[in-house]
Amino acid sequence: MISCAEFIPAYSELFKFLESRGGREAVERFWEYLSDTFLGNLRSEVEQNGLRGCWNYWSHTLNEEAADFTMELDEEAGQFRIAMHRCPSMARLLELQHVEPYHDYCRHCEVLYRRVLEPLGFDYAIDLSTCGEARCSLTVTRADSGRP
Amino acid sequence: MTKQTMSRNARDNEYLHRDFHGALSAGIEYLHEQYGDDAVREYLEQFARSFYAPLTKALEQRGLVALEEYFRGVYDLEGGEVRFSLSENELRIEVSRCPAVTHMRSQGYPVARLFRETTDAVNRAICVGTPFDAELIEYDELTGRGIQRFYRRELNQSGTA
Repeated sequence: MISCAEFIPAYSELFKFLESRGGREAVERFWEYLSDTFLGNLRSEVEQNGLRGCWNYWSHTLNEEAADFTMELDEEAGQFRIAMHRCPSMARLLELQHVEPYHDYCRHCEVLYRRVLEPLGFDYAIDLSTCGEARCSLTVTRADSGRP
Repeated sequence: MTKQTMSRNARDNEYLHRDFHGALSAGIEYLHEQYGDDAVREYLEQFARSFYAPLTKALEQRGLVALEEYFRGVYDLEGGEVRFSLSENELRIEVSRCPAVTHMRSQGYPVARLFRETTDAVNRAICVGTPFDAELIEYDELTGRGIQRFYRRELNQSGTA
């Protein structure tokens, strides 16, 4: 059994393996598959509770992942935001001296969540410009929140 | 209340996200579907030889006790029901309740058809380049219950010289 505490390096190596078989396209297809088949809990949370579903979903996952983060939900403004001060996944990969992270590791967060949230009527934006330092931020906005 | 904030430091929580077992299982099933069963084993071997390289080195230098310490740590963290039997030439790990499969079954995550390889292929790969080898003597697909055996290569399959 691979411990769940060792999943992130296994995931990173899977991306490398897929890329060696079919290029970046193969990695993208896997992320889409994972979004469609594995994020049913995020999808149903947001379908039932709107933006609050994002709060519920990430409250669970980020606490279990021992992340260092600030999360904000403003239902009136129609916005949910996560400022990730230290991503537990990327931080773990960076700490490993003997394993190189997949070169585009953080972009799975771009593909997986956008694919769930946008069809449900939300705009999804993620800033990965500092993800090499295990920091990022994501914003989910109700698509009609800026309209008169 | 329409506005809420939550802040956490890494040290506020223990790192234990069991749903990752389900994500790994989804990855294994995807590889199986798209690239076949050999690709699953090849990927796991590649991962294990890379990630567990320090463990393989410890096995080579310190023998099976290094594996026992490592696996005790894993199952202590994850809360499985496991019995260890260690001798100079053999380590048996009898898992009566697998934390990964138990969690996936309880949460309704599909368990990949080749999920056993996350034990079998990985254990064998950890032993590559050492005087030891591994086998999965028993494995129950439904519960993950099983017996893992690591042994010194000079010994035959029954454990006698």
